[in-house]
Amino acid sequence: MTLNTDKIRKDFPIIDRKRVIYFDSACNSLRPKQVIAAMNSYYEDFPACAGRSAHKLGQLATDAYALARNKVAKFINAKSNEIIFTRNTTEGINLIAKCLDFKPGDVVLTTDKEHNSNLLPWQQLEKELGISHKICFSKPDGSFDIESFKKQLDKKVKLVSMVHTSNLDGTTIPAEEIIKDAHKNGSLVLLDAAQSIPHKKIDVKKLDVDFLAFSGHKMLGPSGTGVLYGKFDLLKSLKLFMVGGDTVKNTTYETAEFLPPPEKFEAGLQNYAGAIGLAAACDYLNEIGMENIEKHETELNKTITEGISSIPGLHILGPKQAELRGGIISFTIDGLDMHYVAQLLDKMANIAVRSGQHCVHSWFNAHKLPGSVRASVYLYNTKEEAKIFIETLKKIAELR
Amino acid sequence: MVVCIIGLIAFAIAGIFSARYRRLAKEAFSCTFKKLTFRACDTGLDIRIKAHITAKLIKWPGTARFVHKNFERISVLLVIIMLITFAVSGFYAARGVYNYAKFGNCNGESSDDFCIFNIGGAKPHEIGTVQCGAIDCECITPTTNCSIGLNNNSYLDYTPCTGSTCSCP
Repeated sequence: MTLNTDKIRKDFPIIDRKRVIYFDSACNSLRPKQVIAAMNSYYEDFPACAGRSAHKLGQLATDAYALARNKVAKFINAKSNEIIFTRNTTEGINLIAKCLDFKPGDVVLTTDKEHNSNLLPWQQLEKELGISHKICFSKPDGSFDIESFKKQLDKKVKLVSMVHTSNLDGTTIPAEEIIKDAHKNGSLVLLDAAQSIPHKKIDVKKLDVDFLAFSGHKMLGPSGTGVLYGKFDLLKSLKLFMVGGDTVKNTTYETAEFLPPPEKFEAGLQNYAGAIGLAAACDYLNEIGMENIEKHETELNKTITEGISSIPGLHILGPKQAELRGGIISFTIDGLDMHYVAQLLDKMANIAVRSGQHCVHSWFNAHKLPGSVRASVYLYNTKEEAKIFIETLKKIAELR
Repeated sequence: MVVCIIGLIAFAIAGIFSARYRRLAKEAFSCTFKKLTFRACDTGLDIRIKAHITAKLIKWPGTARFVHKNFERISVLLVIIMLITFAVSGFYAARGVYNYAKFGNCNGESSDDFCIFNIGGAKPHEIGTVQCGAIDCECITPTTNCSIGLNNNSYLDYTPCTGSTCSCP
C-alpha cells in the first residue's frame, strides 16, 4: 500500500509553516500533532507522580505510564517488564556496559561503523576493566562481512554489540544470522536499533535478541526518551545502574531491597510525558504500518539514488543499491566541502540535511574522509521533494 | 580566514545594534584569531558566508560559479579595498580633528562648511580683535555672559570689518 503522504503531512504542521524539505530524520524526526497532544495531556490533565501518590491524578499518571510501557512493548513484541525507559539509545548501551558482569579479558565485538554511543562505552571498559574491544570490519562496499564475524566469534566474546542499521550509510546487518551464531557461541547480543526501529518492523522475540536499545526522537517521539529492551531474566541478572527513588521496595539505614526490572533501573521521577508521547508515536507508526513506511522510504531512496548517481564526482557511501540503504543517502562530492553543500541545500531550496561525520568519527578517520552529506528520508517526505533535492544538488555540483 | 576578517569588522559594527550579530562577531574573531595563531578555523563561519553569497547568486550560474571558484581572491580584494578605505577615511578624519583644534573648523582655515565636531554650526567666538577674513569675524558681547545657543541669549555681536580687522565692542 502506498502512503497517503498528503494526509500524513497535515499531521506535521512545521512542514507547511516552514516550507522545509526535511531530509534529516536520521538525526531527529519531526513530530506529529498526535504525539505533541499526548504529551500535553499529561501536563494539562494529570501532571502528577506515577507509582507513588494515591490521589486521582496520581492514579491517572500511573495508569498512563503503565499503558505507555505496554504500548512500547507491544510495538517490538516484548513484555512490558522487559522495557526500561531511558533518555536515549546512548543511555541504554551505557546501562549494559555498566551493569553486565564483565570480567577482564572478556571480548566485546562491534562493527566498524558504530556510532560513538556504541564505541566509547567499550573503550572505557577496556581502560577501566581490561576487557577487549574487537571490531568486525565491513566489506569494501560497506555491507556486513558475516564470514569475518564468524571467524572472530570465539568463547571470549561475551557480548556482540552492533548497530542494526548504520546511521552512516543506511546498511542493515543480518541481525538474525548474527544472533544465531552468537548464541551458539554462548555470547549475548545487544543491538543499537536507533536507526532501524523507526523504519522497519522489529520483533524482538523473532530476532531472539538479548538487548535492544533505541531512541524516541528518531521515531516521531519526544526528545529525551529512549528504551532499553532486555530479556527479563537477563535484566534481573544485571548489576544496578542508577539507584534512588522508586527503585526499591524498602530501605533501612544500612540496607535496600530492590524492585525487579524495569523499576530497578528507573531511578527518580521519570519523564512521564515523554513516555506517553513515545507510546503515541508507536501508535502513529502502527496505524500507518511499518512495512508501508519501509517501502515508501526505499522508493524515495531509489528515486534519489537514480537522480544523483549521474552527477560527476558524486560518491554514495555504502552499497550502490538503494534498497540496501533504507532511507539514508550519504555522499561526498569531489571538490566540495560537505558543510558547504549542506548550507547551499538549505539556502537554495530550504532542504535540511546533515553534514559531517555523523558521530562515526572512527570510520571517517580510518577511511581518511573528512565527512559526508547525509540525506535521510521518512514517511512524511515525497517524490516531489526528492526531485527538488536532485535538481538543487545538480546545480550545486555545477559550481565546480 | 580573509572572509572572517571582513565578517569580524562587519559583524562588530552590526553587533552594536543586534545581539545576533554580536554572536557572529565573536565567531569571526575566534576564527581570525585561530588562523593568525596557525590553527584551524573550526567554526564554519567562512563556509556559511560563502554559501550564503553563492546561494544568492545561483540564479546566474556563471556568476555563482565565478564567485565560488574565486571566493578567496574576491575576499582578499575586499580586504584590500577595506584597508584602503580605512586608510583614506582615517587620513581625512585626522585632518579634520587637526583643523578643528587649530582653526575651529574641521574643513580648514578658511572654510565655512559643515563640521561634525561643531554641530550647531557656531564656532568658538573670538573676543578682541581678529583679522578680517578669519572665520566669521564674530564676537561675543562681554556683557551678555552667555553660553553658545543657551537661553536664547544674543551672543553674536560684531562690528563690520573696517580695514584689515574687525573689533568686538
